[in-house]
Amino acid sequence: MNDISKMWQEFVTQFITRKGYVNVLDGLVVTIEIAVLGLLIGILIGTVIAIVRVMPKYKLLPRILDKICGCYVELFRGTPMVVQLLIGYWILLPMMGIQVNSGVPVAIIMFGLNSGAYVSEIMRGGINSVDSGQMEAGRAVGMPYSTTMLKIVVPQAVKNILPTLGNEFIVLIKETSIVSFIAVTDLYKSFKQLGDPTYEYTMPYLMLALTYLVMVLVISAGVKALEKWLKRSER
Amino acid sequence: MMENMNDIVLSIRGLTKKFGSLQVLRGIDLDIRDGEKIAIIGPSGCGKSTFLRCINCMEDPTGGSIIFDGEDLVDMKVDINVHRQKIGMVFQQFNLFNNKTVVENIMLAPVYVGVKALNRIKRKNAFISFFNTFRKNKKPLAAIETTEQQIRNEAKERALDLLRRIGLEEKANVYPSTLSGGQKQRVAIVRALAMNPKVILFDEPTSALDPEMVGEVLALMKSLADEGMTMVIVTHEMGFAREVADRILFIDEGQIKEQGTPAEVFDDPKNPRLKDFLSKVL
Repeated sequence: MNDISKMWQEFVTQFITRKGYVNVLDGLVVTIEIAVLGLLIGILIGTVIAIVRVMPKYKLLPRILDKICGCYVELFRGTPMVVQLLIGYWILLPMMGIQVNSGVPVAIIMFGLNSGAYVSEIMRGGINSVDSGQMEAGRAVGMPYSTTMLKIVVPQAVKNILPTLGNEFIVLIKETSIVSFIAVTDLYKSFKQLGDPTYEYTMPYLMLALTYLVMVLVISAGVKALEKWLKRSER
Repeated sequence: MMENMNDIVLSIRGLTKKFGSLQVLRGIDLDIRDGEKIAIIGPSGCGKSTFLRCINCMEDPTGGSIIFDGEDLVDMKVDINVHRQKIGMVFQQFNLFNNKTVVENIMLAPVYVGVKALNRIKRKNAFISFFNTFRKNKKPLAAIETTEQQIRNEAKERALDLLRRIGLEEKANVYPSTLSGGQKQRVAIVRALAMNPKVILFDEPTSALDPEMVGEVLALMKSLADEGMTMVIVTHEMGFAREVADRILFIDEGQIKEQGTPAEVFDDPKNPRLKDFLSKVL
């Protein structure tokens, strides 16, 4: 008991008296920045890939594009995120001759590329889960494929996609804790630095876990509210 | 002779359809006259639904020709969307647009067509007025008689009229998920009607309904028939086919094996497969 209160005292000293919270807040901003911007890039890439992959494939060009997108998805889903991050930072960046003084942009882009692969699958699944009769009915009254897709299929697919997209955001937030591999000070690194002077990491790590947990709970509450709002047209 | 030709709404010749190596339709010839009601019967898997879906190219035919409005629908260069606007279709599973209210379901296609035509005129006018700045003899602009809002309002009026006709006016602003099967199918039928089609294709319209709801849908179809709508109906409702149809087609193994008036087909079947089929269903 005594130990814990001592640890807590130590943590408070580090966090407040020695202004550790400034560092932690910076780390929090970096974590959120990478997750949010990464997801936005992911949605952009994912949308393009999903469109290519659900398009009818009578002609040669869509078929080739479909294969390319398929390879992209397999590549990013088939290798660990850490490895992609390391390759991006240590191999691709020097190869392109770009010098950066922070790993944050690299992290954003790599997380964007990675989640693009996952998001594309989420969207493809969402679109495919809409009853094929909806597309048929749209085509049967004389609307073209694109119009039916936009007015009928996609609005219904969004209801399936958004909650899963929220989950992807949660995964992304948690996974950003690996960016210290490329020397970015995120939430994890900033909490770790609180313990560095005394080598006492118990409280910092517990608080780190709590911070992630609170963020995730807030996001899932938001996703649930959104889901409820979207489902209002059913029943 | 010429008058006869004008009477024909759809002229189908040698229609074939293959799914991979499976030959579903083996050359079907059919002329559908204006106002004619054709019922298609046959055992399951005989290709009758596929045939119906080939008529408006929901399934792309493998061969043959379908002449509608002077154009061959099988030809990939023909804009099938324009023709589908004049060929209504009613599905077994209703397929109402789940994300649209009942009235929006009916309005959607008419508004789409109207707004598209309006935008085409506007685009053309923009071109003309742009090039007019370089012309000595100014070209006149095309007249625009309606606005988008007007098109929307007219479509809504018409949709509400149609809903009134089937007694579902008070359901105009609800989503399809709250309707019963019979109500859904009746809405689906008036959705097809809203485009003023020259012919309506019914793909087993009552097969997915609870028995007590079959009657209301058949009654609506009967009243369409009485108004002279051209209808092609794939059905298992032999009683309805006998009552409403001018001509019965019996399809088996991807071919029309026998056709004639209801009396000829039901009371005096010649084809042994048809005799066998009727003995099972009647």
